[in-house]
Amino acid sequence: MPMNDERREDAGLEPFFEAARAHPPAPSAALMAAVLIAAEVAQPAPRRVPPMARLRDALGGWPALAGLAAAAAAGVWIGTALPAALPGAGQGAYLVDVAPDLAFDLTGGF
Amino acid sequence: MAMPFDDPATAPEEALLAAFAAGDRAAARALTLRLTPLVLAHAYRLLGCRAEAEEVAQEAMLRLWRQAPRWRPGEAKVTTWLYRVTANLCIDRRRRARGGSVPLDAVPEPPDASPGAAERMQARARAEALQAALDDLPERQRQAVVLRHIEGLANPEIAEIMGASIEAVESLTTRGRRALAAALAARKEELGYADER
Repeated sequence: MPMNDERREDAGLEPFFEAARAHPPAPSAALMAAVLIAAEVAQPAPRRVPPMARLRDALGGWPALAGLAAAAAAGVWIGTALPAALPGAGQGAYLVDVAPDLAFDLTGGF
Repeated sequence: MAMPFDDPATAPEEALLAAFAAGDRAAARALTLRLTPLVLAHAYRLLGCRAEAEEVAQEAMLRLWRQAPRWRPGEAKVTTWLYRVTANLCIDRRRRARGGSVPLDAVPEPPDASPGAAERMQARARAEALQAALDDLPERQRQAVVLRHIEGLANPEIAEIMGASIEAVESLTTRGRRALAAALAARKEELGYADER
């Protein structure tokens, strides 16, 4: 079909298509109710989230949880692997006496 | 996990369907309000019978609810899937009716005396004349013309819905339009639409 004929044909049909678009059949209340009831019957129950999964999500998921575990392990290591006692005030003063070069803040004071 | 959405009225259909599958009742309502009119209109245009279109719409929506837990995101648009299911249900019905023409809805429209009533009546008469002409088209031509010119879909999506090539869709719409133009030219004279050229 030549292009001009096709355009004329489309222009002639457009008012009919427009009318059809403007007047779609409205669903009846009975149809809407039936669809909603079917949805209710077919719908899966809301998913129950286990408490541990909820805690994991609250903390930010697995990556955050892994970071938290690493920090906790590091804390345990620091608490167990370092010397049992750091120099106290008396020991610090003794070190200063025998090695004046070490006369810096060993005791945490000034 | 369901995609979050702020407003069910504007959320994408796929997000609503995922929320529905997760048990969200607001999503069920939003999908019903949005998609039932669409499915009903499409079924009516393919069948030409309001009562049968309502039955098809109900069945198509039921299939959507059942499909929701198995929906694979990103595979197809929800509306594309629904148009295809609706068309298949309509085709099955028409075939079961052994190709006999389905009568138009016989429920009379209430009288309309408000301003602009004449224009609305004319538009309604045009819509009915178009529907009658659509009913006489071969199945595939009718489906292609409805999807292209009334639902306003692009040819690639129509091809996906119909399981046909884009060239086949173009050919179907061209032949369908030609047949409609011939049928409606006769109706225009019969109904006195001398102003539409």
